[in-house]
Amino acid sequence: MNGYAGNILSIHLGTRSITTIPTKKYEQWVGGHGMGSALFFDMVKDKTIDGFNPENVITLMSSPLCGTLVPSGAARTEIQGIGVQSLPIGWFTRSNFGGRFSAMLKYAGWDGIAIQGQADSRVWIDIRNHEVRIRECRELDLWGTDTWECQKIIWKDVAGDGAYGDWVKVNKKGDMTTQRPAVLAIGPAGENLSRMACLIHDAGNGAGQGGFGAVFGKKGLKAISVIGTGSVKVNDPKALMKSRLWLKDQYQFDLKNLKFNTFVMGFQSPPVPMALYRYGKPRIGQRPQACVGCTAGCRGRYEDGIGNEAICFTSVFYYLGKTLLIQRQAADLINRYGLNAAEMFVGELYLKRLQARGIIGKGKEIDCPLAYEQYGELSFAEQLVKAISFRNDGKGNPHPFGDILAEGFVRAAEKWGRLEGENSDLKTGLLQFPHWGLPRHKLERSQLDWGYGTILGDRDINEHCFDMLRAFPTYYKQSGKPLPPSQDVVQIITDKMEPFQGDMKMLDFSTENMYSEHMIKLVSWHRYYTRFWKQSVQLCDFRWPDFLNLYGPGQAGATGIAEQRFFNDVTGKNFSFLDGINLGKKIWNLDNAIWALQGRHRDMVRFADYIYTRPGTTPSGYPEYMPGIKNGKWDYVITSGRHFNPDRFEDFKTRFYRFQGWDENTGCPTRKTLESMGLDNVADALETNERI
Amino acid sequence: MKPNVPEKNGLSRRTFLKYTGTIVFAMGSSGYMLDECRAKEDGSKIAVSDGYLVVDIEKCQGCISCMLACSLVHEGVLSPSFSRIQILQDSFGKFPDDLTIEQCRQCETPACVEACPENALTANAEFGHVRMVDKEKCTGCGSCFNACPYTPTRLLVMEDETFNRESKSIKCDLCANAPHHWDEKGGGPDGKQACVEVCPVGAIAFTRKLPVQEGKSGYKVNLRDENWVRLGYRKS
Repeated sequence: MNGYAGNILSIHLGTRSITTIPTKKYEQWVGGHGMGSALFFDMVKDKTIDGFNPENVITLMSSPLCGTLVPSGAARTEIQGIGVQSLPIGWFTRSNFGGRFSAMLKYAGWDGIAIQGQADSRVWIDIRNHEVRIRECRELDLWGTDTWECQKIIWKDVAGDGAYGDWVKVNKKGDMTTQRPAVLAIGPAGENLSRMACLIHDAGNGAGQGGFGAVFGKKGLKAISVIGTGSVKVNDPKALMKSRLWLKDQYQFDLKNLKFNTFVMGFQSPPVPMALYRYGKPRIGQRPQACVGCTAGCRGRYEDGIGNEAICFTSVFYYLGKTLLIQRQAADLINRYGLNAAEMFVGELYLKRLQARGIIGKGKEIDCPLAYEQYGELSFAEQLVKAISFRNDGKGNPHPFGDILAEGFVRAAEKWGRLEGENSDLKTGLLQFPHWGLPRHKLERSQLDWGYGTILGDRDINEHCFDMLRAFPTYYKQSGKPLPPSQDVVQIITDKMEPFQGDMKMLDFSTENMYSEHMIKLVSWHRYYTRFWKQSVQLCDFRWPDFLNLYGPGQAGATGIAEQRFFNDVTGKNFSFLDGINLGKKIWNLDNAIWALQGRHRDMVRFADYIYTRPGTTPSGYPEYMPGIKNGKWDYVITSGRHFNPDRFEDFKTRFYRFQGWDENTGCPTRKTLESMGLDNVADALETNERI
Repeated sequence: MKPNVPEKNGLSRRTFLKYTGTIVFAMGSSGYMLDECRAKEDGSKIAVSDGYLVVDIEKCQGCISCMLACSLVHEGVLSPSFSRIQILQDSFGKFPDDLTIEQCRQCETPACVEACPENALTANAEFGHVRMVDKEKCTGCGSCFNACPYTPTRLLVMEDETFNRESKSIKCDLCANAPHHWDEKGGGPDGKQACVEVCPVGAIAFTRKLPVQEGKSGYKVNLRDENWVRLGYRKS
């Protein structure tokens, strides 16, 4: 089993048992998400349990590529289990983070971890190669620390007081490394069971979606630390090195010939932090910072140590902070307290709208202790973060405001009576949580792959595979820069979308094509590709798929060639790109079966009301452009400003389920389809539970 | 293959004096010193290496690709613990002190070579006088490890599966003896070094010029150019 460590660590916190599962047993699922779903299916007998139930199993999985030299494919960790964030059901869901954790896990001799049960005291898990201990938090006073303090304390415990950079003996046997342990920790938000609590590793690697920080907190689990001194064996070392250099030569950014000087998707991107601060990047000394094996770091570390590794949603959390420094400090706050940046960003703006309307405030309809007179100052952000993290007024005093908000913004709105009647905040769009009680991300009415993928799944997909089709046309139209013919762009991409290659109308985002069979194929391909190549093999979302690439031959990227090349170099298997797509389809079916067992029915699969009535607009007010056919010709068409039609979306769902081979009336996978993939046991479970 | 490093007992007074003398000598002989030789205690000569690795710690992005490539081409596996070049970083630190790179210096006066009681560690003339371990001769005694004056020690003593799990020393050889080298021409001063080739940002370079030996400045250099500045980073 080249690429694998060989064992999965299974820990039951309730019984304090530590056992191993041979990875071989789950090898057919390859790794990451596929393996996690299969483990969850086997280990959790009753899928209807709540995420806070001790029997909920959380899996943290690597892949055979983790810890290797596969470019931007060696560092992700997939985390799964029943989440506590979504509505109306806390779906079996996923999150994912980068950094060093999964690589270190492999060097320690583990392909993944499955955590079950609930500890009767507050604990952390200490993994040093094959020595695994469940340790009490009170030994190191860990409970009550923020995510950064927690990691530093554990670093010192594991690495000792030796000189920084010296070899460290990680165990009595004398195994050595210069590296610090990779630690995944919760902060006060997770300890106090906020449903938007996340997991943080190093300064800024966050697993935000699902509320897994709260699940850790409920289990009494503060942190997992892993340090490894072993190695990952690959099938063909020379071939792997050649492949890595091939990609560098053919597709990677070239510092002597830069095509971009800002962050973009794919391998053409130079190493620059994807920091989205309202006032731009900090203009101080800094470096790019990358996950293990990445070609181009997307985070930064700064000379003042503020905002280290904060990117994307984390960097926009306090969008209206008065200064860049305050915005950066606020990013650190949510990383340290361990809060989901996306929900905090969208939720904070919701509160601001309510405050502007005179609805919340001291003594108002919704009694709010936040000091809005300090809005824009760091003190305001700190009070909000603390209120949610400690379930109080943000100043250390009991207050229902923080307690209610810690349940998430949609649950809070419901508690405040804001979701009743015709003026419900989910009808007017004041509360921009369009799917599953979760915050908006890309404009789902415009970027259809994103919207459909999210509502047909379980969470904001946060998969940027086709994002460049919105980003480049939209920004270039604004700035007047010339765009390549959309037909050429669409051709390059769709040629790579095996087995639907050649159907260019998959990328026709015009209103006329919103509900077409072509769009069904796009959404299906996207589900299959990401379930396998991104979430199971764990290729990074920011670099894969590499569709368009100004360095590539004919400006075509490495996707369709590179994925299987690297996978086979490592594993020695003879996997094709299409094999991956097909396995992704199987994993997608398994996930849908689990959701059905949790109680999903097609009637639940609907956006918030405002998505059907209100035109989709961007915060900037500029229109969005995407490829589309206009008057019979390919062009870039405006895709914002429209909304979904509820009847046509229902019809779209029916045809989508039919395309998957599922029951059109329920949206549940059928026995025939499941058995065709070898999932007979899954079909049996659905039948036993009267879902089919 | 498992790392198995003997206890480093610190420098003896005799050793300390030896290094002090080395440093004083080197300070008086800066600059380009190709082919110059140094006297060993037994009177034999140690030729200077034909090549060196220099690094830019402000440019490094901490991806540790160099470490993984190093262990891949030498041991055929991927492991930071087996790497001859080490990236050390602190996620919470302040730039530029949040990260450093420590590579073998191919010292002008190599303490490791001088310390080897088996003459297993030599300036290998076949590969441009790179300081290399002859595993046939190496007994894994750890003398070289103890002699290296740098932190972290640039050598490791490890169980070697190709030698029936006997302990053997490993160190940077500029990929001269890398069984899994990808290039037909191989490595060494006249070939390709895995860490240099794989680094995505050009933070590691090969040079034939003998770096200034005292201190760090000869080995930690500035490899940034105007294009790096275009990305928002400082040049100096």
